[in-house]
Amino acid sequence: MVKMSLDPVQVMSGQVKELKVATSSNGDSRGSWEEKEEFDQDHLASPPSQNQHITTALPSLVHMEYTSKVTGRRARKVEGGVFFPKPENAVTVAVSSRVLFRTEREQKALETVNARLRELYPQSEELFDIVLVTYNHAHVGIRLINTINHHNLFIERFCMTGGSSPIGYLKAWHTNLYLSADSEKVREALAEGIAAATMFMPEKLTEVSESQLRVAFDGDAVLFSDESERIFKAHGLDKFFEHEKDNEDTLLDHGPLKGFLEALGKLQKKFYAKGQRLDCPIRTYLVTARSAASSGIRALKTLRAWGLEIDEALFLAGAPKGPMLEKIRPHIYFDDQMFHVEGAAEMGTIAAHVPYGIAQKHNPKQKTSVAK
Amino acid sequence: MVSTIQNTDVKQKDADHAVVVAITSHAAFESGADDGDAVYREGVAFPLLQALQKVNERLLEENPAESLLFDVILITTDSQQQQQSSRVISSTRHYGLEVSRFCFSSEEDFIESLQKNNVKLFLTTDTNEVTQASQTGVVSVLLDQQTAVCSSEQLRVMFCGDAVIRPDTGPMPLTRQAAQSFSTQLGEMRQKFGMFDSPLSFILVTSHGGRESCRGALQMLRSRGVSVDEAYCLAGAPRGPMLSLVQPHFLLRDGYSSLEE
Repeated sequence: MVKMSLDPVQVMSGQVKELKVATSSNGDSRGSWEEKEEFDQDHLASPPSQNQHITTALPSLVHMEYTSKVTGRRARKVEGGVFFPKPENAVTVAVSSRVLFRTEREQKALETVNARLRELYPQSEELFDIVLVTYNHAHVGIRLINTINHHNLFIERFCMTGGSSPIGYLKAWHTNLYLSADSEKVREALAEGIAAATMFMPEKLTEVSESQLRVAFDGDAVLFSDESERIFKAHGLDKFFEHEKDNEDTLLDHGPLKGFLEALGKLQKKFYAKGQRLDCPIRTYLVTARSAASSGIRALKTLRAWGLEIDEALFLAGAPKGPMLEKIRPHIYFDDQMFHVEGAAEMGTIAAHVPYGIAQKHNPKQKTSVAK
Repeated sequence: MVSTIQNTDVKQKDADHAVVVAITSHAAFESGADDGDAVYREGVAFPLLQALQKVNERLLEENPAESLLFDVILITTDSQQQQQSSRVISSTRHYGLEVSRFCFSSEEDFIESLQKNNVKLFLTTDTNEVTQASQTGVVSVLLDQQTAVCSSEQLRVMFCGDAVIRPDTGPMPLTRQAAQSFSTQLGEMRQKFGMFDSPLSFILVTSHGGRESCRGALQMLRSRGVSVDEAYCLAGAPRGPMLSLVQPHFLLRDGYSSLEE
């Protein structure tokens, strides 16, 4: 069942429970990442991050644990190789090199989820898997791997395509989500039916939880199609409300990130099955400009019909999203409109732009996206 | 008895410095049952042949006096083909292939031809021939239908970074040495071109193990003078989908080489 916060006061007043937060060591003052993707050599000078040891309790007799000298991370050793999930079983997040080196905290949160999943389901391959997919040339390969080691990142799989398009490899990896600083690559991925978004890094990061992964989504043109936005843009707010009311019982069509929400939901259910609903290390949010009493109903009905749960649905009725996001502290927020993405970044949230749908046509700087 | 015929259409290479590549006529040409005296159709190795030619062209562009070039010879490996010598020659000329010599040998003496011609790389569509040639220390590669869809503009050579990890399926010592010196020569050729727009590209794929094994492979190749262009660390993910994107012409695994495992 979808938990719905109708009362704006309730929603705005710190209902979010206190969680352990990581001290942010990121002093990077970069703004948008929309530059040509290159392996960032400056990163070699950055101080090492805190070495987080993720303890896993693996009762199985067949599998041995070893602690890698380099990463200090425990991995399962199986018959002479190291255990990695099959791409089609895992929730695969593909990242570009720039994204890889700026999302340490987020990757740690994914590892926390994995550690808890392994505790409950030692044999399962349904875990997060991070893959680096970059068109960097392999002559920086050794340096890249050294930097990954230096930062104690949890990444063992990568593609360095030496200049050719990485998009084909996204499919080969059964990618559930692709994050890059290069909006062109992101558009290409979306056109191929892969959930993708362009990362925007805030100047100053707000703290986020280390023990719970929080993912927030905009509704229209992200989880849902942009059909309603089209009506709004073409005919205005009144027409939009009318259309939503008339179609209240008709499901919205799906948007590019529906599949990723689905993948998150699948992992969440694994915790619920073991009685860990309250303590679930994954939490999802819908942050939409729709209003609860009217247009929001259609969104909820659609989610329900898809069998998708979202932990908190926040209907802002047009109010700015920044303050809400600041309250929630998601590790990442997906929106199709740059205005909201920038707003989120201003408030210290990592925001990812989904260049899909009608909202893109109105930005003269961007190329028209392929509407699905 | 082996007969060797020079192709007068093509300038002969410097025997001391050129890298001799032998391709069987079966790989180069498709022989149909009904063809008679007509020119053969293109075989699976065609794009590969064209890519080798492309490398030579570009090497000579960089340096017209270049002697480190591919020296391609066409070799027959059975008596039937051996008797089709004029057709093999006329087909070669028809397509303007940069083949400098023809060795008309049979199944008994083709190995001898490989030795006498100082062949560094032997390309064939026949598994038995690969085994036989490998046993004498010649780097041998099995070509198949996948080779036919590879690029004709860029020679793509794949290195498998897992040979170290699986010694029981490893190569014979003779070919390991040969493969290493062949890779070093390829590495030298590669150095003549820039990072991008090279007619020669090296791809490393490590199937098992994580980034550490990939780094080890990159370092090992670098120590041999091979600077890799593309690297894929699969850590257990299936190779098939990757290989169909990478589309290497052949794979060097320090010995018996094949695109299929």
